[in-house]
Amino acid sequence: MMANSLASDLAAIVGDANIATSTGDLEAYGRDWTRFYQPDPSMVVFPKTAEQLVQLVAIANERHLALVPSGGRTGLSGGAVAREREIVVSFDRMNRIHSFDPVDHTVLVEPGVVTASLQAYAEDQSLAYPVDFASAGSSQIGGNIATNAGGIKVLRYGLTRDQIAGLKVVTGKGDVLNLNQGLIKNATGYDLRHLFIGSEGTLGFIVEATIRLSAPPPDLNVLLLAVPGMDSVMRVFDVFRRKASLTAFEFFSDQAMNHVLSHQNIGAPFGDRSDYYVLLELEETSLEGAMTAFEACLEEGTVIDGVVSQSEQQRVDLWRYREGISESITPHTPYKNDLAVRISRVPEFLAAVSDTVSARYPDFELIWFGHIGDGNLHLNILRPADWSIESFKAECDSVSDEVMAVVARFEGSVSAEHGVGLLKRDQLHFSRSPAEIEMMLGLKQVFDPNNVMNPGKLLPR
Amino acid sequence: MKVLVAAKRVVDYNVNVRVLSDESGVDLNNVKMSVNPFDEIAIEEAVRLKEAGQAEEVIVVSVGTSACQEQIRTALALGADRGILVETDEEVQPLGIAKVLKAIMDKEQPEIVIAGKQAIDGDNSQTGQMLAALGGYGQATFASEVELGDGTATVTREIDGGLETITVKLPAVITTDLRLNEPRYASLPNIMKAKKKPIDTYTPADLGVDVTPSIKTLKVSPPAERQAGIVVETVEELVDKLKNEAKVI
Ligand SMILES: Cc1cc2nc3c(=O)[nH]c(=O)nc-3n(C[C@H](O)[C@H](O)[C@H](O)COP(=O)(O)OP(=O)(O)OC[C@H]3O[C@@H](n4cnc5c(N)ncnc54)[C@H](O)[C@@H]3O)c2cc1C
Repeated sequence: MMANSLASDLAAIVGDANIATSTGDLEAYGRDWTRFYQPDPSMVVFPKTAEQLVQLVAIANERHLALVPSGGRTGLSGGAVAREREIVVSFDRMNRIHSFDPVDHTVLVEPGVVTASLQAYAEDQSLAYPVDFASAGSSQIGGNIATNAGGIKVLRYGLTRDQIAGLKVVTGKGDVLNLNQGLIKNATGYDLRHLFIGSEGTLGFIVEATIRLSAPPPDLNVLLLAVPGMDSVMRVFDVFRRKASLTAFEFFSDQAMNHVLSHQNIGAPFGDRSDYYVLLELEETSLEGAMTAFEACLEEGTVIDGVVSQSEQQRVDLWRYREGISESITPHTPYKNDLAVRISRVPEFLAAVSDTVSARYPDFELIWFGHIGDGNLHLNILRPADWSIESFKAECDSVSDEVMAVVARFEGSVSAEHGVGLLKRDQLHFSRSPAEIEMMLGLKQVFDPNNVMNPGKLLPR
Repeated sequence: MKVLVAAKRVVDYNVNVRVLSDESGVDLNNVKMSVNPFDEIAIEEAVRLKEAGQAEEVIVVSVGTSACQEQIRTALALGADRGILVETDEEVQPLGIAKVLKAIMDKEQPEIVIAGKQAIDGDNSQTGQMLAALGGYGQATFASEVELGDGTATVTREIDGGLETITVKLPAVITTDLRLNEPRYASLPNIMKAKKKPIDTYTPADLGVDVTPSIKTLKVSPPAERQAGIVVETVEELVDKLKNEAKVI
């Protein structure tokens, strides 16, 4: 009866048509891209206005309910997972693009706008929304803001955080805050906007965002280089960064290349194989500088070989060697880690992590790739064919703390851009001190005193 | 044996072209330009002939503005030995290009000319055929496989609904289809080396060729815009729309 009266009270807020309780919906809306958790929400609501969210929060506080904000559900840390009878609050139906300001170059959007739709809208204005990654066709702006999403152009355009000029939020307490109102300069104390960016739905709902658009990208070229070792990778980064305007600097190992070649059915880009490869994207106008950089690196032996795109199609095709990695290793149920350290410490860090894992599991294959120009490394541990998924995950979990201890030793981050959610919650302490975590809990208290917003995510309970 | 390859500078295949508001053509301002994709295949085929020891020299020709040097440099980086730029600021049409190529043939005496089956800008698919007719050479268009014999080339052609295999006498013009090969990427060390490879420049007049356009473009218009889809509420509404609006049932 309780549930029924709750359903009818919620229906009174959002309307009958905007509540879902079917098993299929509960299952689909109870999970994100992670597959480790059994979804079990009590219902799904689809609000259409900020006012409805204020009312939902009020009911939640009154009855001590748990709300899980839900975007495109492409998250990789379980942030949008509901497995304890929570109410999923989906932004699927708050997806209007309100207005574009041609002088400010900002656009006012609802949080449910799909990232790729915003990119397309920007293009229609002859501008660009430069945050981009493989899940952009499904992820939502609200989810991107809540996770401070990064992607493949961070080197040039920054993170989601850097595009946000203003936010309207409904806090867990029920306050509606208009944060920063699209200003560029605003020296009036604490910038609460930035607390909500990356908060993973634990402080409140993002209900509207003012987003800065960028000038459209110039013509781009991609270089794919064969590089003998990690120290050379760093050296190549230094040399090219001085000579060319880079939009991306990615690396991957020869093992990763092997998986792409056999899975994607494409030919090797050049005859020589090497331990590592670097994919650089740069503005065409700095191609000349890049050639000079290449010559210098070739001379000193920090690159062995390289190719360059001669057309837009080739640029896209060369990206496939890097972007195809995730998909190519999926059949091996990889155990994923998304780590960050200062760029300068990458080679030493990579060696230390490899040693740690290999010492315990010499037959686990390690696949390294990542946005190395951002100090962001993706470590994927592949499951040997004769291991069951369960025992493999359990073993990886147990070695994970050792890996994270290495991260801590290198003063790195246990989650570079995928958030903390459920998956990394118990490892937060490897990157944040007890005093910091204490403070984060205090902040959560201020915005969400009754813990109705995404409880159990990001922070220890 | 010498092989001549034609390479045209065209708007990049992945660029969304915009029609000029006065409908006189498409906007070429600040648009990315690349080698015509079918010509990339032609270059690759020529370089493979050389690597297989069947050709001694690969010469690449481009007709157009001085900017075409970029595309010639690309071909040189991919393995062509030297370049010829026939420079003109005029808009050159297929007949004009065929005449220029004929003049280069007379000069260089190659046994084979490989060109794209069409350029993706004008989509004419005429140059190769006209060149063969002008010079009285053998002609093997839309090639998906090429095999050289003694003074002949055996070419598999992609035709509607199947394949046709023909043998032509050399000298011959071969135009490439998509499946002929998969072009390689330009290697950076080779780009460095290609800087030293020579490019000769002529004007059409130097070659005694008149490239004045013989076709006048009256109007260029964009394809009709597709209407956005709509969501229908009921099956009845769908049936009604199919019947009365789309008139397909
Ligand atoms: C193939 C693939 C590639 C990816 N590549 C990248 C990459 O390169 N870089 C990167 O950063 N990420 C990447 N991701 C991860 C993911 O796409 C991002 O984290 C994305 O920002 C999540 O957006 P979403 O809308 O799907 O959010 P969801 O997964 O739905 O939610 C993410 C978090 O945001 C909260 N949330 C959602 N909407 C709101 C709102 N309106 N208000 C408050 N909180 C909200 C949720 O509660 C949850 O905690 C990738 C994922 C996949 C599947």
